[in-house]
Amino acid sequence: MGTNEQPTLILKDIHKSFGKNKVLNGISIEVNRGELVTFVGPSGCGKTTLLRIIGGFTEHDSGEVILDGRSIGHLPPNLRDTRICFQNYALFPHLTVGENLAYGLKIKKWDKKKIQERVDELLTLVQLEGFKDRMIDKMSGGQQQRVAFARALAYSPKVLLLDEPISNLDANLRILMRDEIRRLQTELYITTVFVTHDQFEAMAISDKIVVLSDGYIQQVGSPIEIYDHPVNEFIASFVGYVNFLDAKIDSIKKETSAAVVSTEYGKLELDIEQAEFVSGDDVLLVIRPETIQIAPSNGMVRQNVIQGTLKRYIYTGALAKCHVMLGDREIIVDIHDPRDHVPLRENDKVEVTISRNVHVLKRQGSGPADT
Amino acid sequence: MAATATTYYAQLTGWERIKEFFNAKFINILALSLFLLLAVFLLFPIFAVLVKSFQSPEGFTLAHYKNFFTHAYFFQSLYNTLLLGLINTIICVSVGFCFAYMTTRGPMALRKPLKIIAMIPLIAPPYLFALSLIILFGRVGLITQTFGVNWEIYGFDGVVIAQTLAFIPLAFLMLENNIKSLNPNLEESAYDMGATEGTIIRTITLPLLSPGLLKAALLVFVMTIAEFGNAAVLGGRVPFLAPDTYTMIVGEADFSMGSVLSVMLIMPCIVIFIAHNYLLKGKKFTTIEGKPIASEPRKMSPFVKVPFIAITFLFGFTIFICFAVVIMAAFVNILGVRNEFVMRHIMDFRSNMAIWNSIKVSFIAALIGGIIGTLLAYVIVRGKFVGRNLIEMISLSGFALPGTVIGVGYLIAFASPPMKLTGGIMILALNCVFRFLAVGVEAGITKLHQINIEIEEASWDMGATFFTTFRRIVLPIMFPAFIAGFIYTFMTAMVSLSAVVFLVSPGYELAAVTIFDAAAYGKIGLASATTLKMVTVVVLCMIILNLLTKFTNLDIERKGGAA
Ligand SMILES: Nc1ncnc2c1ncn2[C@@H]1O[C@H](COP(=O)(O)OP(=O)(O)O)[C@@H](O)[C@H]1O
Ligand SMILES: [Mg+2]
Repeated sequence: MGTNEQPTLILKDIHKSFGKNKVLNGISIEVNRGELVTFVGPSGCGKTTLLRIIGGFTEHDSGEVILDGRSIGHLPPNLRDTRICFQNYALFPHLTVGENLAYGLKIKKWDKKKIQERVDELLTLVQLEGFKDRMIDKMSGGQQQRVAFARALAYSPKVLLLDEPISNLDANLRILMRDEIRRLQTELYITTVFVTHDQFEAMAISDKIVVLSDGYIQQVGSPIEIYDHPVNEFIASFVGYVNFLDAKIDSIKKETSAAVVSTEYGKLELDIEQAEFVSGDDVLLVIRPETIQIAPSNGMVRQNVIQGTLKRYIYTGALAKCHVMLGDREIIVDIHDPRDHVPLRENDKVEVTISRNVHVLKRQGSGPADT
Repeated sequence: MAATATTYYAQLTGWERIKEFFNAKFINILALSLFLLLAVFLLFPIFAVLVKSFQSPEGFTLAHYKNFFTHAYFFQSLYNTLLLGLINTIICVSVGFCFAYMTTRGPMALRKPLKIIAMIPLIAPPYLFALSLIILFGRVGLITQTFGVNWEIYGFDGVVIAQTLAFIPLAFLMLENNIKSLNPNLEESAYDMGATEGTIIRTITLPLLSPGLLKAALLVFVMTIAEFGNAAVLGGRVPFLAPDTYTMIVGEADFSMGSVLSVMLIMPCIVIFIAHNYLLKGKKFTTIEGKPIASEPRKMSPFVKVPFIAITFLFGFTIFICFAVVIMAAFVNILGVRNEFVMRHIMDFRSNMAIWNSIKVSFIAALIGGIIGTLLAYVIVRGKFVGRNLIEMISLSGFALPGTVIGVGYLIAFASPPMKLTGGIMILALNCVFRFLAVGVEAGITKLHQINIEIEEASWDMGATFFTTFRRIVLPIMFPAFIAGFIYTFMTAMVSLSAVVFLVSPGYELAAVTIFDAAAYGKIGLASATTLKMVTVVVLCMIILNLLTKFTNLDIERKGGAA
């Protein structure tokens, strides 16, 4: 349905530096209506700056911000239909919860009765009925977060900007609030830009993830694309743990995408669907811990099986993490539902099986070095 | 436990026992001595004034107070003083807010220059502005002569203007500090929800600043009603409490009435000091959690920008002109009569002697003040005795006490043996020591809170005695606080007039008093030249302070790194 509709928010080639510090280097993104797009990246990579540019608090050096087909880059925040939720909530400490929620509506000159109805509605929405007359400092962190979120929703904005909205909460509450925000966001069908440094949070909440690093967009994609088909080493290791293995492609068949690669542990047969690879390429195999099979070694040589030693076995209930030494390299293997698995003991000889469906990356710097 | 302790003591020689006792109790002994000093040099003089106001040759009497309230003149004096305080407070806090807003939220290019101009009056004595107004609007003043404007500067208006200009920096500094600690995201949130800048200021900035505004207002009020110089020079026939006290004591030698006026002067200050301490406790919107966020400059709306710029430029320009004309007048023979360049005011022997005396007195005051302030901070933070809060309150209260009252108090309290101090140099220094303790004590308290008690305890553990710990660990850490107290006392003692005007003796003129006398008798050149030299000394002092803080900071960082 949204395919022939134009994107709600478009960023075109945004550049920003603070003095000599180049923070954003040409950021272009499209956010469709009702979508939740997450900017994720390490701390200091410019996420907040980007959000502040969309909100109108920071002036960008060049590029365009387009909302509903209208360029808004020159407008001050009070004339933009965006609503920002700051990381520290920025709730007005001299006002009650109700007054905080009503603030924007009073500015818009709603009449008193309508404001009160809307405030009650918002309180119900974030399950804070009965807190209307509390002062902000009498609310817990989680409650403050809800108030901040409700305040941002008060006067339905076209785009909601959330800057690490739940990073100040403790772990359990964080997951609860994350799902709550996602539920309300889809229910209200509100276009949202969500900023976080937590890749798992990004995976769990987003329609689309934008991975930022050093002011550049590293990759844009759905959680699945980002996780299964990372475009470079940074992304691969940024989202979840990954084992890297150097390899060289011996042969590759374009029709079946069946390939044979050689590694320091012998030859592996893989299916490489990425078309850009040819025989002779130096590549990096991206092997997720959960895609590897592990079993006690029976010494038999088979295809895609590598012999090793189990160094550490960490049992966490739903998962067992195995640290396996392959020669002098350590890899990590995850066993899901370890109770059903063949028992393994530390220092056992084990064998690991590499799946055929492995994601492959071009080894960085290998191309030019060869020629 | 007790048994082992007794046997331990029994093994010690008498001398060791005394040493042991001092080590264990040193901090309490120190605290007691400091308390006695505060009692003698701060509480006793005020008490003496109070007693004097109720005293007659026959004993207790209310006659002096009856006298005060039945004379319309005195009542007018009280009324004028309070009205002056009120008007000044309103103007200073409003203008101070405009400056503070512009230097924290305004256009980048204006922030620094406006901050400098708003702080300039700090380097000068408050009565510089009285002098400037005389130079500009006096009978032979620049504007009076050039434009034929005949504006009577001697009177209520003149005092209000001079006082306002003098106390803008105080309001500005306090409010700037407060605005800086506001989380800028709060104002941005309001902006985001559609508020215009004027609405943001009205509904967010000002309400959040209200504790700071109240604090600044109270302080400005206390300072302006107590300030002696401007009212004395410009008051003309309009009565104000501070100069009236001076007239009573020095002119008519009526100590009883002088004491009553002093009590009237100190009452609002005590009320306000108590209000300041209890009313504001815990009433602060600490709005920055975690790392402070620098506020990014935003485009000001013209509805705010135009009036704010108009106000700050008007006052900034006036302050600038006031300084400029004083510098100029220092080199003019007789202003308005013989406008020729001369050096005779600058070279004037009496003026130079007075400056030199002021430097000597201020240096002594600074040295004693620095030491006492540091020690006070130490016993306040590290002591474990009851009454710590009382000591803290007394040592910080000095700034709120009108200098006039302290002057009268010293005159009464230390006029006769056993504690005869009047007529000497020490009395001039000591009153400054105890009035200006607050900065040194607060700096010391801050420093001590920064370092962990564990460093000291570690040293104790390693067997160091109290004295060794104090010398090796505490003193080096406290040194910056000592310097802060030293320099602040020096600078304020240099310009302070209201107390010493009662205490100077003929052979020992101070610069502040010389300026006051010269201005009062219309010797503008001499007054300006002495002011100029005084400001130069203060500025040099600030430069030294800056260099020293840089130096000592580096020093401390290095030590921290090594540990
Ligand atoms: N107002 C500012 N002035 C100067 N530098 C800034 C300002 N705001 C952010 N920066 C710098 O820009 C970079 C990105 O900051 P930010 O956007 O806050 O990162 P993130 O939100 O991803 O942690 C940092 O290096 C930060 O120091
Ligand atoms: Mg951030």
